[in-house]
Amino acid sequence: MLESIITYSFFMQVFRMFTPYYLGASAATFSERSGVVNIAIEGFMIISAFSYAAITIATQNPYLGLIGGLIIGILFSLFFSLFTIKLKINQIVIGVGFNLLMAGLAKFLMLLFFHSSSNTPGYPHIPRLPFLKSIPMIGDLTGDSIIIFALLLVFISQTVLFKTRFGLRLRSVGENPEAAETLGIKVRLYKSGGVIICGLLASLGGIWLASNQGSFSDGMVAGRGYIAIAAMIIGKWKPMNIFFACLMFAFFESLEIALQISGSGIPSQFVQMLPYLITILVLIGFVGKTKPPAADGIPY
Amino acid sequence: MNTSPIIEFKNISKKFGDFFANEEITFSILPNTVHSLIGENGAGKTTLMKILFGIYKQDSGHIYINGNPVSFKNPLDAIMNNIGMVHQHFELIDDFTALENIVLGDEESDYGFLNLNKSRKVLIDIIAKYNLGINLDEKVCNISISEKQKIELLKLLYRKSEILIFDEPTAVLSPIEVEEFFKIIRKFKEEGKTILLITHKLNEIKELSDSVTVLRKGKVVYEVGSDALDISVLSREIVGELETVIDLNIRGDVKSEEPYIELNNIVYKHEKASALNGVNLSVYGGQIYSICGVEGNGQSEIVDLIAGITRKSSGSIQMKYDGISLVPDDRLEKGMVKEFNTGENVLLRNNKSKYISSSKIYDTAKAVVDKYDVRLPALNAPLESLSGGNQQKVIFGREIELDNNIMVFVHPTRGVDINATAYIHKIILEQRNKGKAVLLVTSDLDEALKLSDKIGIIYKGLIGKEFTRNEFDESTDKRNRVLQNIGKAMIGVNSD
Ligand SMILES: Nc1ncnc2c1ncn2[C@@H]1O[C@H](COP(=O)(O)OP(=O)(O)O)[C@@H](O)[C@H]1O
Ligand SMILES: [Mg+2]
Repeated sequence: MLESIITYSFFMQVFRMFTPYYLGASAATFSERSGVVNIAIEGFMIISAFSYAAITIATQNPYLGLIGGLIIGILFSLFFSLFTIKLKINQIVIGVGFNLLMAGLAKFLMLLFFHSSSNTPGYPHIPRLPFLKSIPMIGDLTGDSIIIFALLLVFISQTVLFKTRFGLRLRSVGENPEAAETLGIKVRLYKSGGVIICGLLASLGGIWLASNQGSFSDGMVAGRGYIAIAAMIIGKWKPMNIFFACLMFAFFESLEIALQISGSGIPSQFVQMLPYLITILVLIGFVGKTKPPAADGIPY
Repeated sequence: MNTSPIIEFKNISKKFGDFFANEEITFSILPNTVHSLIGENGAGKTTLMKILFGIYKQDSGHIYINGNPVSFKNPLDAIMNNIGMVHQHFELIDDFTALENIVLGDEESDYGFLNLNKSRKVLIDIIAKYNLGINLDEKVCNISISEKQKIELLKLLYRKSEILIFDEPTAVLSPIEVEEFFKIIRKFKEEGKTILLITHKLNEIKELSDSVTVLRKGKVVYEVGSDALDISVLSREIVGELETVIDLNIRGDVKSEEPYIELNNIVYKHEKASALNGVNLSVYGGQIYSICGVEGNGQSEIVDLIAGITRKSSGSIQMKYDGISLVPDDRLEKGMVKEFNTGENVLLRNNKSKYISSSKIYDTAKAVVDKYDVRLPALNAPLESLSGGNQQKVIFGREIELDNNIMVFVHPTRGVDINATAYIHKIILEQRNKGKAVLLVTSDLDEALKLSDKIGIIYKGLIGKEFTRNEFDESTDKRNRVLQNIGKAMIGVNSD
């Protein structure tokens, strides 16, 4: 039975599912490396997914949808940094608030614009990349610019965090902002930088979901923003480890879908439970104690 | 010679709430001198330096550098003016390597990409020149305190600072490391740098300073040049009136027959470098036994084992009595619930009934406050609002009132002002004279010499050398040699 599930298209599916997880997890990593806990990854994904849908429907131009979605993401990250960095409001409270607000806002706007509380009309997806999309076998993956970006992001984020001046300073304000300040580093500026990159990447994850699904529906992000945070923790805030954690979650999500389709005897609810069970098992078993950046979550 | 000041403070005032941490401070510092700023804990030294370094902003007054008024908004402005500061509590990032810590904020980079090797080359020259050997690639969380100190020095040198501020730099160093540090300071001066040294150790001032400014309660009370420097005058100026005078020679022979605490061949392992490698230790009733050494050599593990906070891995621990009184090293984190008031904190340890009434909290607080001379804003004020010395008196009061036969005091006077220190020393000596076994853990050698009947030197998890009072008593003529040997034992060098 397993052979029939774990096929070529299954692996394609794993890499597709990987994309929003990895974008969300990298988003959270940039924020937390700068010392700001952002549990609103889910909310950012929802609002930008909706923005992509709405703008693309209105303009029939997916590129405008993409840019619009990212701008909305940046806009909300600016609010997020205002509340958490400038006004120093508790980061968890703001995060929960954002998640609830975005879900409600998307639904409200959907009703307002499209007169439906469940889903929007269809719209075009972001066009595939020329040439790359016609590579045999893997053209579906390589033609998708956001999937390619998510894969490259493993190296990009590793390099930015650990090999650049920006990354060193970003991490310093997440580890010990007082020490960074005494060396003349503008602590809040770098924290805001982390939060904005976070908003951008999380939004891209949401946009990818919307673009792929072809229509925005309520609840479509389906907790991926939270799983992304779990992947970041399991991956110990390190881009390479997070890559594997996301692959694992993507694998189980794909398995769940495959089981549903194949109509095997295994209840899909059981498989749906697996990623969460695995998270808990991995955290207590393999990974052991994970240590966040020393000043993570502490307002400065 | 007619030199004009490099730094001038004019009428600097800084308030925290209603409290003047600095009040109308005016004095100046000449270029290429070592200028010492001294005063008790809480006198306002650190506050003034943080104003100079751009961390705090003064409420009123002006600072002039080379005659020009400056107004630093943040440390970056100060750094741009060639000012460097080593903070009282090291400002290091544990998860970064030494190299990353040093270059942070002034990184060599190519198009935004770090070029650590370029910085490394510069640093290797500096390290050789000042004899500051450290492993640049080790993470800060794995290194000793004296190495951290070196990293802080390298930060200043890397930035080519000309005005160097040191806030209590020697508080955590062993005597020999202090000597090394002084050599470097002298070298800085030879190179034309200006040094602002904050300390409350008087002998250091005499050795290094060209001029001295004394702060007391936020105000400048005394200024003197090296030519007229007199230690006894200085110490009077620092304290004002000394309230408690103790006679260290009142020590009857009350030593018990058998030890109250006996550790035999204790081996204790954990992940970090500092562990115990076969510790033997006996403390008798009527005796003050001090464990001295550079921090991180196993002191805290010994205390944790005796207090039952951790379990030993091998060896035997014998305690003649149940129950110990413990004053831990970190009073804010381990000694109290800082948000609780005095009465609540005392009742946490000394409460026999299940119920606590507000009158009981009040009475308990009143008793401790009266008996131990605690000065506090209000009887029900949270403990964190008291000064360090008064917090410590509350904890001492609580532990002494338990009346256990075994008492363990860890860094009892760290961060405590001179008057409270004298008072706490008096209490410790009283307990000894009552026949209690007192184990004192301290890195302040003067404190150990004053109080102890016996001193054990701990180094790398072993109490290697022990010294008895008749060897280091002020009356003996071998004292200087013994002191040198103690200093050597603290850094693991064999004595001659
Ligand atoms: N950030 C702060 N908030 C409130 N009070 C402070 C602060 N910093 C220092 N103080 C108070 O100001 C006084 C002077 O402190 P400080 O300058 O650190 O003294 P010193 O360095 O001479 O020991 C102390 O009473 C201290 O409690
Ligand atoms: Mg100070």
